[in-house]
Amino acid sequence: MKGPILILIHPAITTTPEVLEEKKIGISKQHATEVVIEQYLINKINDGTVVLETSNYSEIHYITPESDESVSFPKKLIGVLSDSLIPGGTLYGLTNAYKIDALVNNFEISDVGVYHWVKKNISKETKSVSLLASNSSSESGVGKKLPMFKKMPLFKKAAKNEPVEIATASDEVDELDDDDASSSSSGDMSNKAKYFESVGADSNGDGDTSVSEDDLVAVTDSTGITMITCGKTKTRKKRACKDCTCGLKEENEEEINKITSQQDRVLKFSAEELTEVDFTVEGKKVGGCGSCSLGDAFRCSGCPYLGLPAFKPGQAVNLSSISDDL
Amino acid sequence: MSSNKIAILYGSETGNAADFAAILSHHLHRLHFAHSLSSMGDYPAADILKCRYMFVISSTTGQGDLPRNVHEMSYGEDRTNTLWSVLKKKNLPNDLLDHLNIAFFGLGDSSYPKFNYAIRKLHQRMVVQLGATEIFERLEADDISMAGSNRDTGLGIESVYFEFEKRILQHLKEKFPNRKVNGEVLKREELSEEIYLEPKTYLKMGDTSNMRKENAHEPKFMGDYSISNGKIIKNLRITSEEHFQDVRQLTFKQDDIKPYSPGDTIAIYPTNTDEDVQRFLEVQTHWLEIADEPLSFTDGIPNSLNDGGCIENLTLRNLLKYHCDFNSIPKPSFFMKIWTFATDVSRMERGEEQCTQQREKLHEFAFEQDMQDLYDYCNRPRRSILEVLEDFLSIRLPWKYVIDYMPVLKPRLFSISSSKSNSEIELTVAIVKYKTILRKLRRGVCTNYISKLRNEDTIRYKVINNSLHLNKQLEHNRDIPCILISPGVGIAPMMSLIRSDICNNVHLFFGNRVKDCDFLYRSELEQFDKSGKIKLYTCFSRDEINSPELKYVQDILWEKKDLIANLIIDNQAVIYLCGSSGKMPIQVRITIVEILKKSGHFKDDKEAETYLKDMEKNNRYFQETW
Repeated sequence: MKGPILILIHPAITTTPEVLEEKKIGISKQHATEVVIEQYLINKINDGTVVLETSNYSEIHYITPESDESVSFPKKLIGVLSDSLIPGGTLYGLTNAYKIDALVNNFEISDVGVYHWVKKNISKETKSVSLLASNSSSESGVGKKLPMFKKMPLFKKAAKNEPVEIATASDEVDELDDDDASSSSSGDMSNKAKYFESVGADSNGDGDTSVSEDDLVAVTDSTGITMITCGKTKTRKKRACKDCTCGLKEENEEEINKITSQQDRVLKFSAEELTEVDFTVEGKKVGGCGSCSLGDAFRCSGCPYLGLPAFKPGQAVNLSSISDDL
Repeated sequence: MSSNKIAILYGSETGNAADFAAILSHHLHRLHFAHSLSSMGDYPAADILKCRYMFVISSTTGQGDLPRNVHEMSYGEDRTNTLWSVLKKKNLPNDLLDHLNIAFFGLGDSSYPKFNYAIRKLHQRMVVQLGATEIFERLEADDISMAGSNRDTGLGIESVYFEFEKRILQHLKEKFPNRKVNGEVLKREELSEEIYLEPKTYLKMGDTSNMRKENAHEPKFMGDYSISNGKIIKNLRITSEEHFQDVRQLTFKQDDIKPYSPGDTIAIYPTNTDEDVQRFLEVQTHWLEIADEPLSFTDGIPNSLNDGGCIENLTLRNLLKYHCDFNSIPKPSFFMKIWTFATDVSRMERGEEQCTQQREKLHEFAFEQDMQDLYDYCNRPRRSILEVLEDFLSIRLPWKYVIDYMPVLKPRLFSISSSKSNSEIELTVAIVKYKTILRKLRRGVCTNYISKLRNEDTIRYKVINNSLHLNKQLEHNRDIPCILISPGVGIAPMMSLIRSDICNNVHLFFGNRVKDCDFLYRSELEQFDKSGKIKLYTCFSRDEINSPELKYVQDILWEKKDLIANLIIDNQAVIYLCGSSGKMPIQVRITIVEILKKSGHFKDDKEAETYLKDMEKNNRYFQETW
């Protein structure tokens, strides 16, 4: 392991400095080579006087006079500690009372040897979000507004299972260049502003002081319409009207019935409503097009599995949740 | 942030306009154009003075009306001082908006006579009367391509939207090729599609100490004071058991009594079932271990959770149950946001290759302008977001952004059936169920929720006072006849009208399929008919025995044409028409014009047509269809 070791100190420990000394000796003994040990009072970090470097420490030890059951720790710092650890780094001294915060902040809980947390070897899901950065900058009022948004990961592959990048609102702080429309002078505006002053309850727009909405549109008014002729090439399947009389609705119902009966041919219902997808149906072995199990978005038209959820080939599909009305 | 210089505003009833607005917003973000995105009702009116570019997308609702979220803020019932109420003021100067560049996109359906009226009204007021400058002529899309910008082209609404988007981006890029950050000029370059845009506020782990542990308590919601709670006292099926359609008479007691009139509606806030929430958590397994941990928002509750209020006990499980509409059909904007999270190779049967395949497919759903594949995969079979996630196991969603990428559960509206301001509100609800190629029966999110309600359950609701005023003359003279035409559950508001004793001379025309199966409120209506409270006329479309001659309501109207003409012309009758949208209201309208011509002795179509239009103008012809 490389990287320095951090000891975080509960303020009450200062009255018993020997506890701290013992800890330091204990740590040194565990490491064959010489290690760098840093120490801070927890309240220094809590109030922002000390800012921890990210991905720096290999171990963090929290020492407190409190018993294991009564350890009380500022939750918001758990994420800060996680950030300051290198991947695989460990944290000692916090208890299962903070399990949720540990999991949320990318720790794994380990009972091997002394109880401790291990920072997972992947970066936190939204690590790159600059959430902490943007929060702290807005809180401290130090306008560290970087104009850039997050760069894309260099490796496409890494992007797959890895954090999705998040752009914060501060990334888009933008000022429109004032140009033509600045013709409205401020004097103009204050003139206009008087019309927007609240005039009490009768300003609901329905009284005699308002124009009638009906007068705003003439029956034959169809001016100002621009025709859209560009666009897509494929033609949309027609939808049946709500009260269809042309037969399209029946056609659709027919199609639904056809698909439902197709589904019946590939499903075997058992007593527990557990249903196995039957790959013995002629010509419908999963090897065919290979898309049957992937779900409707990927199935061919006419696939007998249309309308069924995605499934794992050869596995029983629990249809109790989807067949309650059939 | 100069985000108030560009604004995207939408008026949306079913969510399509809002989704197009979200897509446009997504593209503007990628080009680093700071902007605001909101419904027109939520936009702070005075911000328009600082705004330089405004993009307005609106559908049309009802009888050529603007959608509700143009008039109202999304929470509270406030219609005062919204942008539209200010812009409608009479005394405004004609150069009020001369600082503003604007573009309009309307979504409509030309089977309705007042096609795209909403966007035309907005255009007329903002451009013609108040002096805003259009950067290009407005585009109007037509769902059935018979009118508007895509007339006769066979192109869907999407192609018109993409044209709208193309023109806007082109205009802005030309105008602002560079961007200025802290005074430094940089070339404007598009952000890679793979990068997720962090929303203004998102979830983080909360503090366990202020967590309300007990779950036995009723859930509490914060932030919307206009919402009420009701206790269910009746949830009765009123169609016969063997009939395919399940219609409920749903009654609940108001906790604090809100006044309402016939024609008003109730907005019901549905929840997802615990089983479906669990199913979701099991697909996104990494959510499961923290599903019940307390959470909080980094920068306040997002706007989208304002309507109806945000669940107080913030956990993933509760957010999924009360706020995330994962049983809805995913829209393109959903794929746009989540495709980049398809990274989990570990759950791929065929490893890397399959992961890439899924990722590419999702990308296609998100960005392919020809939406045929997406339509076939999602819309046609009515596939839900949850089912998509079950098919695409490579998607590993980050929970902290869930409110950003997941559509939010919205309330659904139902007409009130009970009498005026009754403390016990009754609704008549048809439970939505149908079959597609998917094995599991499709159910409407809200009506499925309603079908499961039991006595003593609490529902969250708002009373929506519609502008559908009752005819003024009726208030003074209860002898003016009312002709009520209402097939199916269109009967709901008519029941309220009849039960409220507003009119002494009611003629009710009711139609449904089979007399013994779905004659809704049969005994009550027959009793009313016997006692002379109403005159009842019925017909059944699939009932050879009980209704051999007459099938549809327009058939009985025609049969009674002399009576109808007499009521309308000689007695100044008021007509209320309610029920399913589509051909029914058109057929009824044609029939009435025909009746006026034949029995009312108007000399031609045009004259009869004019008379009917005058009726509409004078609040004598109301139509409420959905």
